[in-house]
Amino acid sequence: MDNQSGTDRYSNPAAASILPTSSTSPGTSSSRRRLGPAEWPTIDGPLGLSHDDSLEHARRFFKLGFLCLPFLWAVNCFYFWPVLRHPNAHDSHPDLRRYLVGSAIGFLLFAAILSSWALTFAIGGEHLFGDVWKELVMYNVAEKYGLTGWI
Amino acid sequence: MEQNPRPRTVLETLGEEIIRIVTPVSICMLSVVILVSILNGDSSSAGDLPITTMATIAYKESSSDSTWDKLKGALLNSLVFVAVVTVVTFLLVLLFYLRCTKFLKYYMGFSAFLVLGFMGGEIALLLIQDFSFPVDCITSAILLFNFTVVGVLAVFMSKMAIFVTQAYLVVIGMLVAYWFTLLPEWTTWVLLVAMALYDLAAVLLPGGPLRLLVELAMSRDEDIPALVYEARPVINDSGPSGGVVRRRVWREGRGDTDENQGLSTNTRSGLSSDSTPGTHLSVGIGEHEMNLADAEEGRVTGGDSELTTPLVQHINVQMNSSENAVPSENLVLEGIGLGSSGAIKLGLGDFIFYSVLVGRAAMYDFMTVYACYLAIIAGLGVTLMLLAFYRKALPALPVSIMLGVLFYLLTRLLLEDFVVQCSMNLLMF
Repeated sequence: MDNQSGTDRYSNPAAASILPTSSTSPGTSSSRRRLGPAEWPTIDGPLGLSHDDSLEHARRFFKLGFLCLPFLWAVNCFYFWPVLRHPNAHDSHPDLRRYLVGSAIGFLLFAAILSSWALTFAIGGEHLFGDVWKELVMYNVAEKYGLTGWI
Repeated sequence: MEQNPRPRTVLETLGEEIIRIVTPVSICMLSVVILVSILNGDSSSAGDLPITTMATIAYKESSSDSTWDKLKGALLNSLVFVAVVTVVTFLLVLLFYLRCTKFLKYYMGFSAFLVLGFMGGEIALLLIQDFSFPVDCITSAILLFNFTVVGVLAVFMSKMAIFVTQAYLVVIGMLVAYWFTLLPEWTTWVLLVAMALYDLAAVLLPGGPLRLLVELAMSRDEDIPALVYEARPVINDSGPSGGVVRRRVWREGRGDTDENQGLSTNTRSGLSSDSTPGTHLSVGIGEHEMNLADAEEGRVTGGDSELTTPLVQHINVQMNSSENAVPSENLVLEGIGLGSSGAIKLGLGDFIFYSVLVGRAAMYDFMTVYACYLAIIAGLGVTLMLLAFYRKALPALPVSIMLGVLFYLLTRLLLEDFVVQCSMNLLMF
């Protein structure tokens, strides 16, 4: 025991200033003790949401993402990264994981579609589109409608 | 059994806290400098805004006026601006007194939407035009829409990822600061000095609006609705139940200082992150008592006593960018404070004015940028130290702005000549 404390003392004290990696305190429930880094569902660790609020939060973001807001899905995945990373260790609602996986899939799908369109547009250019390209490209649209005259 | 790691020294904890506040300030300043050099570089002489804004309502500077005229005009402009800010801050105090927090919150979200959507969109457009980026309107519309909506949510909701919230606050500060750099030169400089003086008055004088606001918030133990940047608190794992203790602290709200072995959670709501420059710089201390212990604590919003709200309050920052727009107030938030978990909070107004100073310096030369950057960071450090010493609300703007302006003048008038002459004669540099 002494040796253990000795090594701990020399461990890097600045290691876990964001995620309490070693804070599996004896006070928490036993089911969480083997979680380690996944003790907190959010990436903010103890500053983030509790397990109960997380489900509500994840569900809300998942639903809102359908309003053509894939960025919300990305933020959702980012926020609950520990849950995505350690799927087995989590004891909180399996629904949470489902929403997150849904968000991740949705974001990847949307990003794939959007980027393929954007790349086609950018690389294909006028050869592919013809005159329509000039209509669609942003700087022409801005000039046509005088969008930059506000500042 | 876990043993505590080597207890962190004051230097480490304090240093980390300071770094966590200096980094976003630096990032904001850097981005404004980059934006300014890209967008304003070619048209450095055309510093006149085509539209009358609140800051140029009294006098429109043109390059043909004499110095004295420009100075007078700039003084008039700044007086008008400061007067408007004062009125608006008093209005905010009144609304807060009448407990219209919902209205304030919505207004804040609305102004964040305006800043991110319109200002952000415009600047993105200018960049696209500058670089002739071949992006189509559908993609840019989707991206802008996403960016804006998530930004408004980040400002509105307290339970968003801390990193996302902080990033959006820095972006809002950057956009507003860029807008300020479009003002004419003399007006900008005099305005900066005027705001610094106003900050001093509003926070320290007994009748100052910011001071009233802070006292109100403290007496009610509420959050001030304002846009504040809150740095991530330094979590010490020195206790075996480090994480749990922190959560319990928040759950019980402030006021349980005795329970937490030296944790610096005091009940006082921190600074006003409000409309005007009030900086309460409070330094969070770790679990080991240090003398800086009672930093003012931030606020734990009434409802969510369980969780810290990393974003403490939201204040509307709205820039009046066209005369047709509804005369929106310029509620600029300046202030450093302490979050409920002991982290440093810095008002967005401070970000904005620091970046305006550096952006203006960038419009002259990069040498002034370096000098002003160092001056501002030094001023910020001094303010932090003063705060730790006095432990009450202190304005963050005056020291940094005065140092910054001084260094700008010295560099422009004296240093530049020296350096250029030395380089030309191959003596140094």
